[in-house]
Amino acid sequence: MIFDPTIVTEHLGDIGSGFLVTLGTWSSGVVLGMALGMLIAVAQVFGNSLVRAPLRVFIELIRSTPFLVQLFLIYYGGPSFGLSLDPVPAGILGLGVYGSVYFAEIFRSGFDSVARGQLEAADCLGITRLQCIWRIQVPQMLVIILPALVNMITVLCKETAVLSIITIPELTMVLTGIGSETFAFVETLLMLCIGYLILVELCSRLGMLLETRVGRFMNRQAR
Amino acid sequence: MNSFLIPGGGASAEPRKQASEQQGDSMKTSATAPGEQPTILSLSKVGKSFGQLRVLKGIDLEVRRSEVVCLIGPSGSGKSTLLRSMAFLEEYDEGQIHIEGKLLGWQETDKGRKRAPQSQINQVRRNVGMVFQQFNLWPHMTALGNVCEALRQVRKLSADEARKRGMAMLDKVGLAHKADNYPAQLSGGQQQRVAIARALAMEPHIMLFDEPTSALDPELVGEVLQVMKTLAKEGMTMVVVTHEMGFAAQVADSVIFLDQGEVVTRGTPRDIFHNATQPRLQQFLQNYLDRNAFWQDGGK
Amino acid sequence: MFDWPLLQQNAPLLLDALWVTLQVSIAALAIGFVIGVIVGSLRLSPVPLLRRLGGAYIFVFRGIPLLVQLLFIYYFLPRIGLPNVSPTVAAVIGLSLAAGAYIAEIMRGGFMAIPGGQLEAAGLLGLNARQMLLRIRVPQAVRLTLPSLVNEMILLIKASSLVSVVGLADLTRTAQNLAASDYMFVQDYLMLAGFYCVINIPLAYCGSVLERRLKERGA
Repeated sequence: MIFDPTIVTEHLGDIGSGFLVTLGTWSSGVVLGMALGMLIAVAQVFGNSLVRAPLRVFIELIRSTPFLVQLFLIYYGGPSFGLSLDPVPAGILGLGVYGSVYFAEIFRSGFDSVARGQLEAADCLGITRLQCIWRIQVPQMLVIILPALVNMITVLCKETAVLSIITIPELTMVLTGIGSETFAFVETLLMLCIGYLILVELCSRLGMLLETRVGRFMNRQAR
Repeated sequence: MNSFLIPGGGASAEPRKQASEQQGDSMKTSATAPGEQPTILSLSKVGKSFGQLRVLKGIDLEVRRSEVVCLIGPSGSGKSTLLRSMAFLEEYDEGQIHIEGKLLGWQETDKGRKRAPQSQINQVRRNVGMVFQQFNLWPHMTALGNVCEALRQVRKLSADEARKRGMAMLDKVGLAHKADNYPAQLSGGQQQRVAIARALAMEPHIMLFDEPTSALDPELVGEVLQVMKTLAKEGMTMVVVTHEMGFAAQVADSVIFLDQGEVVTRGTPRDIFHNATQPRLQQFLQNYLDRNAFWQDGGK
Repeated sequence: MFDWPLLQQNAPLLLDALWVTLQVSIAALAIGFVIGVIVGSLRLSPVPLLRRLGGAYIFVFRGIPLLVQLLFIYYFLPRIGLPNVSPTVAAVIGLSLAAGAYIAEIMRGGFMAIPGGQLEAAGLLGLNARQMLLRIRVPQAVRLTLPSLVNEMILLIKASSLVSVVGLADLTRTAQNLAASDYMFVQDYLMLAGFYCVINIPLAYCGSVLERRLKERGA
């Protein structure tokens, strides 16, 4: 198992673009997921039961099925519904939908964590629902749910590897491709592992940094 | 000062001595006739600090076979820490604790002393039983299961033998009919009695009680004290940290008053409760009286 | 839109594949549990080296995507001299190692939630560390963390959808093969989703019932 670093240097371009694709799909998926998730959470917390019931079904379905299956439905099954997407948009949509459900759950618990009394006070003062959400609840709950958010973002980073199965040229696909061509499996797989570990570690470090920063801000304000 | 005892409550060691005469050659001793029984537990200049705070200072103590020693004192006096040190649940920093002649917890080397290996510690405290304020029963086992666990795992008794011994112990504390109940189904007093049975099953030579009734509702305190009184009558060596002055007065051979980590005074119940001379002790007893006596004879 | 005769034809094949998926998931949960107890205990060890060892295991097996772990096993096992490992074994190994990392954190939480006094009492009564672990700590930790363990089972079943990468014909792979031959993507993949739902939704329900019961009992 001799490690041959020239493999890396020869294919640096491809590896680089694969890395960028990973980053791109990851961040797009996170943004989409959080946006959708927030919509779902708001609908669940503030909507009426007509809206909540189908949402509940949707959430259960997404949580009970593997991400890969959802990807297949979007990418291969989509055309039957008139949704012919290229791999990358399909992947981003898949990540977004998959993540939205988990983000919604996190946001919902965040809403719950802001004390009732504050909402009642705002209500009495005539502040509208929307203003209340945006100005009072969201800032406070962000601190509390930050760890869970960072965790979910990390999970989505790892799920981008699955995108390789629908032929998106992200890091996993690129490196396993190089491995198959050159038979340098150990080097490429090791690189792949290290790559994800670095991404994951960076993510959690950033998260911790954010937590202390935002936490400091919150503590100063509160009481 | 007022006699500590509520008028009418007898405070002599008489009842115990009579019972003890029934026992063969394990002659009970009262604190007035020391030196007849072997020393089971001895502390010499024991000290402990938590960081900067000195919790125990220079404690000397000896407990003889069949002696009942009660540790009393205000909270923060170090009584629990002292008791726990006797089982090495707290590592004492200075001095020595010997159980039946063997040094507990430390090994003397030429380079000073170091912590003894766990096996050695377990060996030395093999005959020490402990009852905790929070009972510490294992909630996923029945009462009988709790009592038999150590018999099976440590003494390696067979299931039948363990069961027999376990049921005997439960019977002794009056809970044979609750053998198959889980701790959650038992009252606090019952749980503590099971805990006592669990410790007794291992046939300890000395039993340590860490505020055994402090976590109990007042109505349930009596049943536990009753079991402890019976144990004392049967000649068990006991060291009890307690706030139950009545128990100490009736059952103890000697009472030790601790304050701020040191032994202020030690004596028979009569010495401590009737003839308290130390101002700190007097203050402590007066506080207790103020809190607990629900009728006073107007200072007579 | 739906070809019913085809559906009826495909269903039994998927049912067989479901069995494969379940077997692999349950095996991985069992082995992962053992790994989790060991690594979780390591994380709580008084020896710093052991703690770091446990931490390293969790970092690696939670940080690397499962797909990559499975690929690693697929390419790696032949190189260390095990070329004839069956896909099932490879899948179980891959899933167990990953599950072990997640279960280790769950178990660690469970261990830490046991009141220390119970272990003091056990130690004083003479139980050694192994006896304490097996007779007192693990049973109670499992009780305390049962909802999380059920959730882990659900995650495993979903994660097993990736084992086709090591050549195992699980539920997802079988559906893929069917779709590749009959081109009825929507139908086949909806059926696939349906099978997963049939298993996971009741499991999730059990998990929430357990969670509610645990809260009521107040631990």
